[in-house]
Amino acid sequence: MKIAVLLSAGRHSVSGRPAPVPVELQALRLAVDLGAEVTGLHAGPELGPLNDALGHGLAHLIHLRGDGAADPVPALAAALAAGGYDLILAGRAGQGGEDSGLLPYTLARALGRPILADAAALGPGEAPGTLAIEQALARGARRRLVVRLPALVTVHPAAPPPLPFAFAGMRRGRVEIREVETREGLPAPAPEIEERAYRPRPKLIAKAAAGASALERLRAATEAASGGGRLLVDPAPEEAAREILAHLRVLGLRAGR
Amino acid sequence: MTDLALLLSLTVLAMLLLAGALAMRRALLWRIGRAAKVDWAAGLLALPKRYLVDVHHVVGRDPYAARMHALAAGGLLAGSALALLGLIPALGDNRLFWWLTALTFAAAFAGGAMVGRRRYPNKPARLSGGRFQLLPFLLAAYTGGGFLVALDASLGGALWLLGLLGLAFAAVGGIGLAWQIDRGPMRHAFAGAAHLVAHPRPGRFNGERATALAPLDLDAPRLGVATPEDFAFNRLIGFDACIQCGRCEVACPAFAAGQPLNPKRLIQDLAASLQPGATNAAYAGSPYPNARPVAGIGGPGLPIVGEGAMIHPDTLWSCTTCRACVEECPMMIEHVDAILDLRRFQTLELGAVPARAAAPLMELRYADEPGGRPLASRTDFAAGLTLPLMSDKGEAEILLWLGEGAYELRYGRTLRALVTLLQKAGVDFAVLGAEERDCGDLARRLGDEAGFQRLARANIATLSRYRFARILTADPHALHALRNEYRDFGGTYEVIHHTAFLDELAAAGRLDFGTLGEARVTYHDPCYLGRYNGEVDAPRRLLDRLGIERREMERSGKRSMCCGGGGGAPVSDIEGERRIPDIRMAQASATGAGIVAVACPQCSAMLEGVTGARPAVHDIAELVLMAVEKAGTTPARPAQVPA
Repeated sequence: MKIAVLLSAGRHSVSGRPAPVPVELQALRLAVDLGAEVTGLHAGPELGPLNDALGHGLAHLIHLRGDGAADPVPALAAALAAGGYDLILAGRAGQGGEDSGLLPYTLARALGRPILADAAALGPGEAPGTLAIEQALARGARRRLVVRLPALVTVHPAAPPPLPFAFAGMRRGRVEIREVETREGLPAPAPEIEERAYRPRPKLIAKAAAGASALERLRAATEAASGGGRLLVDPAPEEAAREILAHLRVLGLRAGR
Repeated sequence: MTDLALLLSLTVLAMLLLAGALAMRRALLWRIGRAAKVDWAAGLLALPKRYLVDVHHVVGRDPYAARMHALAAGGLLAGSALALLGLIPALGDNRLFWWLTALTFAAAFAGGAMVGRRRYPNKPARLSGGRFQLLPFLLAAYTGGGFLVALDASLGGALWLLGLLGLAFAAVGGIGLAWQIDRGPMRHAFAGAAHLVAHPRPGRFNGERATALAPLDLDAPRLGVATPEDFAFNRLIGFDACIQCGRCEVACPAFAAGQPLNPKRLIQDLAASLQPGATNAAYAGSPYPNARPVAGIGGPGLPIVGEGAMIHPDTLWSCTTCRACVEECPMMIEHVDAILDLRRFQTLELGAVPARAAAPLMELRYADEPGGRPLASRTDFAAGLTLPLMSDKGEAEILLWLGEGAYELRYGRTLRALVTLLQKAGVDFAVLGAEERDCGDLARRLGDEAGFQRLARANIATLSRYRFARILTADPHALHALRNEYRDFGGTYEVIHHTAFLDELAAAGRLDFGTLGEARVTYHDPCYLGRYNGEVDAPRRLLDRLGIERREMERSGKRSMCCGGGGGAPVSDIEGERRIPDIRMAQASATGAGIVAVACPQCSAMLEGVTGARPAVHDIAELVLMAVEKAGTTPARPAQVPA
C-alpha cells in the first residue's frame, strides 16, 4: 500500500516558531503503523522544520516548492494523482495562520476521491482494497467505518501520539524537491482582517426575574432546572403507582384511556 | 633448593603462562571497540599512585575489605613473584629466602581466609555467588600449599611429606586461579590494572571531579552505542574490571526502589556481551529488581539493548544519572557514561524514548522549554518584585540563571527568597528573562544530544551578548551544564551555586542573620552539586551560620542518595515498587530533623511530593531569608562555623 501524508507549515502554539503540526505527525504514525510505503508531501516556499518529519518515521519527503501565496491545491492534486497513492492522510486542520481544515476537502474534490474525517485509528479492512477506520466523534465516542481505497482520510488529535523524534532518522531521510510553477490569478486573495471594538456579551439571565427579590430571582433561575411534577412524601403504593401512570400519560409515554 | 620448591616455582611459571595466554585472549576482544585517545605513558607511570591512593581511598571505606584485599592480593602477588624468583639459583638455594616466601604465602592465606569468612556461612546479598564462591577455596589451596612448600624448603626438606601435599594443593589452586583470569573473578586483576592505565576520565585521578559528559559528534555514521563494538575500547576494559563487589547496587536509588536497574548486573551484561555467542547465564549476583524478560544473548556485533538482547530498555531509563554507583565503585568504572552512550543510540537513532519523555523533548525542540510554556512567563514567579533584565542593563556583576524551576509554583517561592536576599544584600544582578532557554540538561540525560547541543549553542550565543562576572543559579543541573558541559561548545563561565554565593555574602557581612530558634535541620545534597561538582561544604557552612542544629543523614555529602529527580527519571517514569523520594524522606525523618534543607528544584519537587507525616522541605535560600527577616527582632547568635 502506498500512503501519502500531507504536511503543512505549522507553528508551535506557544512559541509561534515554525514547527510541524502535531496531528499531521500523528497521521504519519498511523501510516507507518500500517506498514505501508509512506511519502510525505509539502507544498510551499520552504521546508523549514518539516524536515523533522523524517525523524518521526518518514523515509521520503517530497517538497513541491512554489510561491507561498499560491494555492497549494493544484500542485498537490497533480502530485497526488501522479503518485498513485492508495491512501492520502491529512491532519484535521493545520496550525498556521489561516489554516481552516478545508484543504483536504478541496483536494478530495479535485481528485474525485471519497473523504472521511477524523480518523483516530486505521487498520486493514477485511476485504482486500479496503481500510477499517475508527472515527473520533464528540465526547470520546468512536465509530467503526470501512472505506474502499483509494480514499482521503483526515486524522483527529485523538489518534496515538507521534512516533518519538529520532535525529538520525532525519539525517537518513530523503528529501526530493520539485519545482512547481505558479499559475497567476488562481489563489483566492487572503481576506483582509477586519478589526471591531470589543462588544460585551449580553447576559442571558431570565428577564422575568429582573428587578424582583433575591428569592424570586433564585426561583426563576432554578425552576427551569427542576423537572416539574408533584412531590409525594411517603405515599401509599397504590397512590404512587397512580401518580406515576398519570405522569407518564402527561409526558405522552403511555396511551391515555 | 628442594625439588618441591623447584616444582612450586615451575607451577607458578605455568600459572603465569596460562594466565598470560588467557589474558591475551581477553585483551584481543577489547580491540573490537572504537579507538580512543589514551596517554599510555602517563597512565602507566600513574598506575601505582592510581591503584595505591585513588582505588585504596574507595576500597578503604570498608576497612575489612581493604585489609582482606591487601593481604590476599598483596600476598598472592608477592608470594608468587618470590616463588618464581626462586628459579634463580642464588636465591633458590637460600633458606632465608624461602622463609620469606613462606611468610608472604601465609599472609595471602590469611587474606584468603578473610575472603572465605566474608562469604561463608552467609554471603551478603550484594556479593555475587557462582565462581566467586569458589574463590576462597582456590586461594586457600594455592597459598596454603605454597606456604607448606616454602616452609619445607626453608627447613631444607625436613617436612617433605607436608611439602608434597602442599605442592599438590598449590598446583590445583594455582591453576584454578589462573584459569579464572579471562571470565572468573580474577579477570578484574589484569583488566583493572589496564582500566586504571587507560581510564576514560584520567582527570578523576588528579583531583578533578571530571563529571561532564563527552560531546557526541553528530556527523558520526552511528550515534551512540548499539553493540559492544560501538564502545571505545577503554570502556570495554572498564566493564571487565568489575569484581562484582556490589557496592554500586547498594548505593543505586533505582535498585532500592525496585526499578529494573542494578548497576552491577548492567556492567556484567556489558562485559558478557563482548564474547562471541554471549549469554548472561554465568551471572550469579542479585538480578535487576522486577526484571523485564530479555533473551539474554549478545555478541560483539549484536545489539545490547532490546527484549531480544542483553538489557531491557526499562533498565536504561530507570537510571537517575546520580553517579552514586560511580562514586562507590572501587574500580572507578563509569556506569553512567555507559548508560548515556546506550541511551543516545536509543534516542537519536531509534527514537525509542519512553512514551512520556517524547513530549518534553518535542516541546524543547520548538519552544526551548520542556513544558512548552512561553519563555516570557519564566519570570512570572517574581510578580511584585523588581527583576532587572539583562536586555535593559546590558551588563551586571551577577547573571541570575533561573532554570526550569521558575515555572513551578513551589520553587517560585525559593527563587523569590533568593531574589529578595540579593536585593537586601545590594547585589548587582540581572536575569535573561524571555531570552533564557532551557539549559539542555534534560535533553542530554535523555540521550537527545542533538537537542542539547542546539540549546547549548543558542544559550552561549545569548550569553555572549552581555557582560557579567559570574552566573548565579539555584539549579545544580543548570550549574553543571553551564559550568562543565558548555565548555565543549565554546562557553566558559564562572558559575556559582546560590548556596555558595549566599555563604560568600554572609562571610562578607552583607547579610545579617537572626537565629531560627530550636529548629533541627538535615541537608539533602543534590547529586549534581555534591557528587558532580564536589560542593558539599558551602551549604553546610551556610546552615551553620543560621544557628540551627544540623544533623547528618546516613548518606550525605558526596555519598548522598538521589531524590529520584535526575536524568529525566521523572518523565521516563519506570515502574518500581517504591518511590525514590519516599526512601530518601524516610532517611531524613530518621535524623529527627523537622526540616529537610534542599538546594535544587528537582529535589524540592521530588521531596515535596512525599505524602504523610514528614519533615518540612525548605530550600536553603528560604531558610536564609527567614533568618535574615528575624535579624532585627531577635539577638543574633554568634555564627558557629567550624574552622
